[in-house]
Amino acid sequence: MSVATPLPHDSAPLHVTGRARYVDDIPAPAGTLHLAFGLSPIARGRIKAMDLAAVRAAPGVVRVLTREDLPNACDTSPSAHDEPLLAEGEVFYAGQAVFLVIATSHLAARKAARLGKVEYEEMEPLLSYDETLAAGAEFEAEPRVWQKGDAGAAIAAAPRRLTGRIEIGGQEHFYLEGQAALAIPDDGGAMHVVTSTQHPTEIQHKVADALGLPMAMVRSECRRMGGGFGGKESQGNALAVACAVAAKLTGRACKMRYDRDDDMVITGKRHDFRIDYDVGYDDGGRIAGIDFTQVTRGGWSMDLTLPVADRAMLHADNAYHLPACRITSHRLRTNMCSATAYRGFGGPQGVLGIERMMDEIAHVLGIDPVEVRRVNYYADCAGGGGGGGPSAPRSAAPSPPERYLEQDRSPGSGHAMSGALAGAGKRFGAEHSPVARPVEPQTTPYGMEVKDFLLNGMTAKLLADCDYAGRRAAIRAWNERSPILKRGIGFSPVKFGISFTLTHLNQAGALVHVYQDGSIHLNHGGTEMGQGLFQKVAQVAAARFGVDVAQVRITATDTAKVPNTSATAASSGTDLNGMAAMAACDAIRERMAECLAGLHQAKPEAVVFEGGEVRVGEAAMSFAQAATLCYENRVSLSATGFYRTPDLAWDRIRGQGRPFFYFAHGCAVTEVAIDTLTGENRILRADILHDVGASLNPAIDRGQIEGGYVQGAGWLTTEELVWDDKGRLRTHAPSTYKIPACSDRPPVFNVELWDGENPEATIYRSKAVGEPPFMLGISAFLALSDACAACGPHYPALDAPATAERVLAAVKRARG
Amino acid sequence: MYAFEIERPTSLSDAVSALKAEGAQALGGGQTLIPSLKARLAMPEVLVSLSAIDEIKGICTDDEGRICIGGGTPHGRVAAELKDSYPALASLAARIGDPAVRNRGTIGGSLANNDPSACWPAAALASDAVIKTDRREIAADDFFAGLFETVLEEGEIVTEVRFPVPQAANYQKFAQPASRFALVGVFVAKYEAGVRVAVTGASESGVFRWTEAEEKLSSDFSAAALEGLSHAAEGMIGDLHGTPAYRAHLIGVLTKRAVAAAG
Repeated sequence: MSVATPLPHDSAPLHVTGRARYVDDIPAPAGTLHLAFGLSPIARGRIKAMDLAAVRAAPGVVRVLTREDLPNACDTSPSAHDEPLLAEGEVFYAGQAVFLVIATSHLAARKAARLGKVEYEEMEPLLSYDETLAAGAEFEAEPRVWQKGDAGAAIAAAPRRLTGRIEIGGQEHFYLEGQAALAIPDDGGAMHVVTSTQHPTEIQHKVADALGLPMAMVRSECRRMGGGFGGKESQGNALAVACAVAAKLTGRACKMRYDRDDDMVITGKRHDFRIDYDVGYDDGGRIAGIDFTQVTRGGWSMDLTLPVADRAMLHADNAYHLPACRITSHRLRTNMCSATAYRGFGGPQGVLGIERMMDEIAHVLGIDPVEVRRVNYYADCAGGGGGGGPSAPRSAAPSPPERYLEQDRSPGSGHAMSGALAGAGKRFGAEHSPVARPVEPQTTPYGMEVKDFLLNGMTAKLLADCDYAGRRAAIRAWNERSPILKRGIGFSPVKFGISFTLTHLNQAGALVHVYQDGSIHLNHGGTEMGQGLFQKVAQVAAARFGVDVAQVRITATDTAKVPNTSATAASSGTDLNGMAAMAACDAIRERMAECLAGLHQAKPEAVVFEGGEVRVGEAAMSFAQAATLCYENRVSLSATGFYRTPDLAWDRIRGQGRPFFYFAHGCAVTEVAIDTLTGENRILRADILHDVGASLNPAIDRGQIEGGYVQGAGWLTTEELVWDDKGRLRTHAPSTYKIPACSDRPPVFNVELWDGENPEATIYRSKAVGEPPFMLGISAFLALSDACAACGPHYPALDAPATAERVLAAVKRARG
Repeated sequence: MYAFEIERPTSLSDAVSALKAEGAQALGGGQTLIPSLKARLAMPEVLVSLSAIDEIKGICTDDEGRICIGGGTPHGRVAAELKDSYPALASLAARIGDPAVRNRGTIGGSLANNDPSACWPAAALASDAVIKTDRREIAADDFFAGLFETVLEEGEIVTEVRFPVPQAANYQKFAQPASRFALVGVFVAKYEAGVRVAVTGASESGVFRWTEAEEKLSSDFSAAALEGLSHAAEGMIGDLHGTPAYRAHLIGVLTKRAVAAAG
């Protein structure tokens, strides 16, 4: 069985030998032209005059385009049609494309782009939270407000109350492969675009729109990205559209890639947030009500700011059952690059808001922060997720959902877990664990019932495994003796909702061919960005046909093969595309079984695909022989598959419904040390227990968890974006912006998978893994705060990212 | 890159005459200059490479016991060869940049460039080094003249740097995490005549001596002697990597650390 096997990434040998092809590695047609944007150096102003004579006269320059030369606005926005490819008389951020150079080489285009003389009438940019709020520059007419119960009354009636604020920085994606696109003109005005993108259909759509073509005339393709992290969900549009427009004008292939500095200046980043909290609670730390105000800077255009800010609201509760809650969200339009999708998509910011608040409550009460969290947890689902712990013997092969194609399942039927009757499973519970409350429904602030919660059991297991209590006591004792260095320990859980919150995006298609020699061609709408999606889906296909995964040829995502795809985002790539691929494989398998059963006087159900063989009664043949036989008997060996996630219903204005199919969980304990003289800090150890349901590929899942943790910790420690008072990004290269390197990962790094099955009927009962572990990095931030708190009686109120200077300031605040 | 001429003289005298050409510029290891040219911060017409001049490379000891490092000696060689005779210098050299920078970049080039965040100026100033050029000898105290400025004349080449060996010394560098340049670096050297403390990375006017600390340490060479002493934030660099107050704070911390580590 190829599922549940820790196979390496399908392209790993190519990655490590440099033979994996990315957009810029594809041999381009003769005469290919290269593009570069001329960028606005100012954050806001009107274009008074443009003198591009020197650009046009520069060596190698073929054409120079401004807005007037374009067939239309050539909009590149994924949402509000508010991002013209080139500035239309006004500029709204430093880095906005003003003109486009088409030249014979990448270097010639870049050099020429610097020669443009553009005169601006400068205007005052909107940059800070407060001035933008005061100016009323928001993307929606009014702030979004979601409520559960009467938070104000609950807070007022609670025995204790505190208010606080945390500022949370943004984050540059820093994919290793920068943005890149190549457009090749086809017959009859059609266009073939190869892009480093998480969303080939969006590229196809935007290119068709810019060229005035029906979508059928545009083919969009992507074999792989050198990292995406959300940064290639919409940010590749401008390059693809520019290349397509230039290719149409010149009749030649056109290619564009951003230099790293340009990439950092032009493209959007993670949204930064400012979160205020006002909470009422009791002496045991149990929360009665919370009022959150989230403010985020969306940049100059809408891009994906609304769903990002929605997801921050959707994760404001994180893992905690809040009796009353009010969440207000302001989405600001500022004169900065347009903040965009980034792993977690607002979720991490929402989670950090409440985690910070939990920490402060624990500090005020003088009790263990983990206990404050545990008394507020949702109750575990009965059976604790079918769980053994990670040490429990793994079932040989998780059973596939039998009714995966049925969309009309009775409500809740997905919760009948195989092998774990309700209440029969073993729970891990420490004495402080709240007792499961399966009878009364527990709902999120947006009215979704939480039926698959696991974190009580997972937390108990993790704390025991990493000796949290013993180490916490040892750290306290050590800190008593250590006046200069202080250690800290932090725990954070994550409950992350899986599905696109725009419900119609939760669909996927696949195309599978079986050739007469038994080799299998697999295609689906998901894109590969290093996360291992292609291998996981190939494992599914191999399992359906009972063949080795090497027999499955993985192919580039291509809108000509599978249409109308969603972005590979929201951690949903495997959930959606794995199911679609399974449906396609099963359609072919059924036809093959019917044919072979007929030849051997057997029933189709009796035909077995296993171990590279197909068996019909006594007869056995290789899969290749079976394919040949079916071909000769004129059986169609090609099929499409389709999947749509069931049971979703969501009203984002009211903030009510079931936006998610299920939740994925994880928890982490991180230990750090700080130097109280300088604020320097480092992670000493991290222990993680993460829930991926029944893992399709434990090796790939582990990689996602480790990488997610390190990237999350980087976001909250060293990765600091700095804009100056003119709105110019000052950190636009690795010399000024510090991402975690291999040497920054914890020297002791224990990662375990929680052994369970998704109660929902997902592909082989697995769970999504892309985004959830990112939030485990929050434990590192909390550990730093804990170390700061060891310096004095006051709450350190650490802001993010916790650079050395911020840690030092927090130490001073703790001392008072 | 733009078009320029390059000369590779093999003797000091040839280099000196080559540098008399209009628009000529000396090129050491090129670790700062080449990126500057790429960014068009400078556009000399002629580069005179000093890398083929054997007479300004290598390390030796003179009659007074001073360590003499040829101006064209790369940092990596200092790191490798001075571990016993002047360990603080070796340790400083070992922490500059990365292996490529250490194998190409030279002490002469670094001093002549006087980057406000460079390490070598702190070592030279704290060690009361003498900087020898093709035409004169300059005391370190007289050599540095502000950001990226020295008293070197047009075409003057640093041929050697002479370091009196201290009784004890240490260099503390607080590396900016992304670039690994010194956010603040403090070099403390204890001589019979007194203690010298040189600070790099912090000041808007480049490397400087912290004389208040020197006075305290000259009478009592211990971290405790610096208790209560702090450096003012005024005149310190404030940029995206740190505020003036933070840099001033680091000067105090790093100086104490250097004293403690020097023993």
